[in-house]
Amino acid sequence: MFRRGQETATAYLFLLPFLVTSAVFFFYAFGRAVYYSFTDFNLFNTPQFIGPQPYAQVLADPSFRRALANSLVFAVVTTTLQTVFALLMAVALNNRIRGMAFFRSAWYMPSITSSVVITLIFLWLFQRRGVANYLIAQLQAYGPLLLTFLTGLVLAQVLQVWLERRAGRPAGWFDPALAVVSALGAGAVTAALAFLGVVGVREVLPFDYQYFADKWVTVGGVQVLSIPLLVVIIQNTFTTVPTLMLFFLAGLQNIPGALYEAADIDGATPWQKLVHVTVPNLRPVTFYVITVGLIGTMQMFDQVAVIGSAAPRDTLITLAYYVYANTFRAGAAPVNMAAAGAIILALIILAMVFVQRRFFPSEVRP
Amino acid sequence: MTVLPAAGRAAPTSPDERWLARRRWARAGWLYAFMLLMSLFFLGPFLMGVLSSFKDNPNEYPPRLLIPQLSARYIGAAYNLGVQGGGGGWRGGLHPGRTVTFDVQVRSPAGTPPAPPTVSLFPYQPVSLVSITRFAQARDFAQVSLTPAGTRGEVRSYRVTVRYPALTRQTGRVLSAQIGAPGDRLTATLPDGRTVPLTLDTPEAQAVQYTLAQYQPVELVERGGTYFLRGPIFERTPLQVDIQRGQTLAGGTLPPSDQQNFGRSLAYRNITPGVLGYTFNNYRRAFNETTNPATGRSLFFTWMTNTFLYAFLRVAAAVVLCSLAGYALARLNFPGKTLIFLGFVLFAQMVPSQVNLISNYVLLKDLGLLNLWGLWLNGLVAAGGVFLMKQFFEGIPRELEESAAIDGAGPFTTFWRVMLPQAGPALVALAITQFQGAWNDFFWPLILLRENTNFTLTVGLSNFRELYGGQGDYGLILAGAVLSAIPVILVFVIFQRYFVSTGADSAVKG
Repeated sequence: MFRRGQETATAYLFLLPFLVTSAVFFFYAFGRAVYYSFTDFNLFNTPQFIGPQPYAQVLADPSFRRALANSLVFAVVTTTLQTVFALLMAVALNNRIRGMAFFRSAWYMPSITSSVVITLIFLWLFQRRGVANYLIAQLQAYGPLLLTFLTGLVLAQVLQVWLERRAGRPAGWFDPALAVVSALGAGAVTAALAFLGVVGVREVLPFDYQYFADKWVTVGGVQVLSIPLLVVIIQNTFTTVPTLMLFFLAGLQNIPGALYEAADIDGATPWQKLVHVTVPNLRPVTFYVITVGLIGTMQMFDQVAVIGSAAPRDTLITLAYYVYANTFRAGAAPVNMAAAGAIILALIILAMVFVQRRFFPSEVRP
Repeated sequence: MTVLPAAGRAAPTSPDERWLARRRWARAGWLYAFMLLMSLFFLGPFLMGVLSSFKDNPNEYPPRLLIPQLSARYIGAAYNLGVQGGGGGWRGGLHPGRTVTFDVQVRSPAGTPPAPPTVSLFPYQPVSLVSITRFAQARDFAQVSLTPAGTRGEVRSYRVTVRYPALTRQTGRVLSAQIGAPGDRLTATLPDGRTVPLTLDTPEAQAVQYTLAQYQPVELVERGGTYFLRGPIFERTPLQVDIQRGQTLAGGTLPPSDQQNFGRSLAYRNITPGVLGYTFNNYRRAFNETTNPATGRSLFFTWMTNTFLYAFLRVAAAVVLCSLAGYALARLNFPGKTLIFLGFVLFAQMVPSQVNLISNYVLLKDLGLLNLWGLWLNGLVAAGGVFLMKQFFEGIPRELEESAAIDGAGPFTTFWRVMLPQAGPALVALAITQFQGAWNDFFWPLILLRENTNFTLTVGLSNFRELYGGQGDYGLILAGAVLSAIPVILVFVIFQRYFVSTGADSAVKG
């Protein structure tokens, strides 16, 4: 279209700012990180080549091992939780209804605000006498009423479905119209029992649980997951589920309705339809969501830095934070170890990308 | 799978059809109930955070949903008290020469000592660790007295009067100013920027001249070119009321901010709040209590302007440079194109930024660029933005360019005159993702910004956490968090449809 020489010159002119900044702040930086990871650099001395010794030091560092374990646990648990919840919510909501725009915006809210803001709000919610513990205490207090209601609901539903079926109608166990009647009935029974004083609100002490402390979930004596990290997992799942759910919803709309009709004709249950039609058809979206999720969660940093001294260091340290903390340690910082840690993190992530590209090559980015 | 029955369909007649219609309606009902529940779940933490940011004590237990700060009655009372204090109904404060009255009702059952409560003003020194500025205290300038105001049954009413006499008897034009830099004479900086010497014409005024620090707001009287000190202006008038054993608080002009000693020691953090000082107290604190003593400027405000500047710079750079690069990669043919795309665009996005941390920090430090400009340079052209624009330009039909080429336009003219005008929606999408990215950016600002006057909001807020979180002072933290979330939420609400189309980038937050 254009003259060849002119075109090449223009292209490089257009790309110049991008190429220059990438070269300086990415490739040069990458090369320097690799170089530093084989030296004794500590920010103040002249780097001397010492071979792979920093890697050995890093791998022997208990803090690094903890960071690696925390990062892997965090990535795997968070990705699993957010994918499963997002998928289930999307299936439950796969309906074209009026007012979807409002709900969509409401659910996007957690994922557009900064992780710093959300972490601060969660820190506040999960204090010892915070809102989260207050809600748990309320749940304990209203437990009897809630249980009565749920028992009533199930009994009423079973009874109604049985009656309907006797009358020759094909009512399902989750029939929505009958469930409305069951809920109303169960509510009335609960109110009546509460009025008669049979069940009531229990007196409970405030639920005082310190989340941001040195507490661990152990499996066979090995500290697997710390409670502070669990709170961060909950927070991260909370912020990402809505967005991922909208991804799955987009994917669901692309599944041909004929597949479900065929399943209906074969007499498939809702569960069978989910497992045999929905999940296989959502494969591309699911793999995308999982890889992006793993890569993102492996780099978790913001939450750890914001929570900072509010939780014991070991309970939250991740690979990204390990790199940061070692670079900015007071005095002579073990920057070579930080660089080695960063390279290991990069290798893990590149391996994840490689596995995705290699084994799921037909992958399309939504 | 439309849930709602289609409008205009003939009314169901047979029992079976009615049964089906009923089911459909019930299903829609459950679905909406579920969606509302989920919205509450996803918005709940934010709404609770916003509500609690208005509270005197966001850590109160049990947490209330109905709070005096949002009730018309107390907002009205706060307005009224602000007017009495002389600072106006919105800003509040206590000015010289003003008298404020405040009512307290005490329930004193038969058999308990009938003595009236004791009242006093107490000092308020912000526990700010960002900076320490010693401001004058209302306690040292105003007198407080208590008079009984009637009894109804067990409830006795008392009227607290706070009287703040002016430090000069001169009259003339009254104006506000700030105490100037320390020197031989006490000076004041007028709102127009002039610095004038102060005349202290009473023993009371002379007694306090060494206690007033720089930037202390004061009121002056101007008469014939001479400025007389009328007295400092207090943002707060903190009142303490101690009631007798056996008595309980039955009411008052405002509810107490804090109760100690089994409800007998009542602290009113500010009885001249104005609406701003009452409902938005934590928001005002976020600005005022971060004042930098060296410059008299609010750090929080500086962080906010820094963040706006950084976001604007990032967006401007991305819109120009990412579209140039994206266009070149999408439409121009040149040697090394594939290599650039694979290496500079795709590979660069995969490598975690921790790898570049050390080198970029050292490099920018050596260049003396550990500030907003260095931060901007570091993320000048986002690889993700280039990718987005390349995808977009590839989707535009080639015919447009070909006709431009036939007319003899060169690549630059074609880009500028033909392609860029087409790219409106993509540029908006790019701009808002970049804005959101810059506004929420935390990792790079945390590393590259080492002076608290250079911070962006995210780094400043995490500093708040360190400084106030330990003391459990979450009012300030929540107010700061809400303030910093507002611009992004506004952008989101306005440009919603673009967000949805590019949601992939924000899908996963590390």
